[in-house]
Amino acid sequence: MREQLANERALVGELVGDQPGSWDLAGELPIGLLHKLGAHGVLCAEVPAIYGGLGAGSQHNGELTACVGSLCSSLRSIMTSQGMAAWSIQRFGDQGQRHRYLASLTSGQLAAVAFSESEAGSDLSAMRTQIRACGDSVVLDGQKIWVTGARYADLLVVLGLHGDGAALVVVPASAPGVRLEPVADPLGCRAAGHSHVRFDNVRLPASSLLGGGGQSLPLLFTTALCYGRISVAWGCVGIVRACLSAATAHARRRQQSGKPLAQHQLVARHLAELLVAEQVATRVCEHASRCWASASPDMVVAAVLAKHVSAGHAARSAATAVQVLASAGARDGHVVARAFRDAKLMEIIEGSNEICQLILAQHALTIPE
Amino acid sequence: MTAEQTTIPVTAEAVEDALLSFLAERVKASVAPDQDLFGSGLVSSMFAMQLVVHLEESYDIAIIGPELKLDNFRTVQAMTRLVLRLRDASG
Repeated sequence: MREQLANERALVGELVGDQPGSWDLAGELPIGLLHKLGAHGVLCAEVPAIYGGLGAGSQHNGELTACVGSLCSSLRSIMTSQGMAAWSIQRFGDQGQRHRYLASLTSGQLAAVAFSESEAGSDLSAMRTQIRACGDSVVLDGQKIWVTGARYADLLVVLGLHGDGAALVVVPASAPGVRLEPVADPLGCRAAGHSHVRFDNVRLPASSLLGGGGQSLPLLFTTALCYGRISVAWGCVGIVRACLSAATAHARRRQQSGKPLAQHQLVARHLAELLVAEQVATRVCEHASRCWASASPDMVVAAVLAKHVSAGHAARSAATAVQVLASAGARDGHVVARAFRDAKLMEIIEGSNEICQLILAQHALTIPE
Repeated sequence: MTAEQTTIPVTAEAVEDALLSFLAERVKASVAPDQDLFGSGLVSSMFAMQLVVHLEESYDIAIIGPELKLDNFRTVQAMTRLVLRLRDASG
């Protein structure tokens, strides 16, 4: 694992280079880079080798996600989406669908997952998107918001109501009736290609319906989200690591009142807090990945815990790093300025702080007295 | 597999009893074997997936693709049938 991970990190480092600042300012990732990383299997590294993937374990992929997250949260968001799409297909698709779609996702095609609606975020009962059977076809109608990576996606994995349950349907972004409206000027992850997507009478072959549909809505939602939460959590570890690295480098070099910043006690405390954040976030993510790898039922709660703890640490660490770098980091595009905006979004997506706390509180009540 | 898991006898009665006690412990309510878990609101979005993972781990089965249909999880009896069918198919 270590050697493979080192190779993947080197590949990412080489392809990404020093460009994330300019991607952030431009609000766009180079699509060629995404296709290239996709073709290497790096964007959904946990896809098993029999389907053309790298077959990475959860922790291995986590470290890779943290590596990407430390460089560019927009790119890491694409990785999260691609991974969620692949995991949903692997879990809910039949054997033919798994082979067909996962081969695409590991050979350069890009996928986004379309779940949220303007009235239905965590409240699934408000979901309106409909998938109707119509002869040999299915017809999709609905509107999804804030679909990460939709701008770059070849395929959209869309959650909708189906029969008396729900289903995931795989929709080519080029299908007639699919319309994208980019989210203008997002606060963070500015190059992640967030779009609102409208589906008007989109007709697809019935074979686009994962596993024939008719599945449980909460099950579909939680399964995909569980992967997404672990991925975001590791991405937040990356944000914290980038902040720790930028703050310590600056505090070592920058002199104030005749000594390096690091020797001023109030600044030193910031560095200590960054180190604590990096260690805590890493450990809680490792725990979630271990639960995932051992297929423990606790993985669902462990993923929420990891996401919540890591996102909170990322947001606080980014604020701390901006404070330490002060004017040196206070411009758009700078690694700590990006972290500051990107980390705030991490406290909102894949279950806001408040939703995570509700889930954790519910879990607390199931623990025997 | 742990020693504990391999010793669970896989008969309909045993699967059903184990599921009923798992549910009683996790949802803090007593559940009837034919009760609609989704209709009664007992199964939260978090818990549905825990149930799947629990069944896979306890009975060494893979529940994927079309098997994840709602009807297979609607009641304890339905889940019991699913477990027995998947064990037969793999055995």
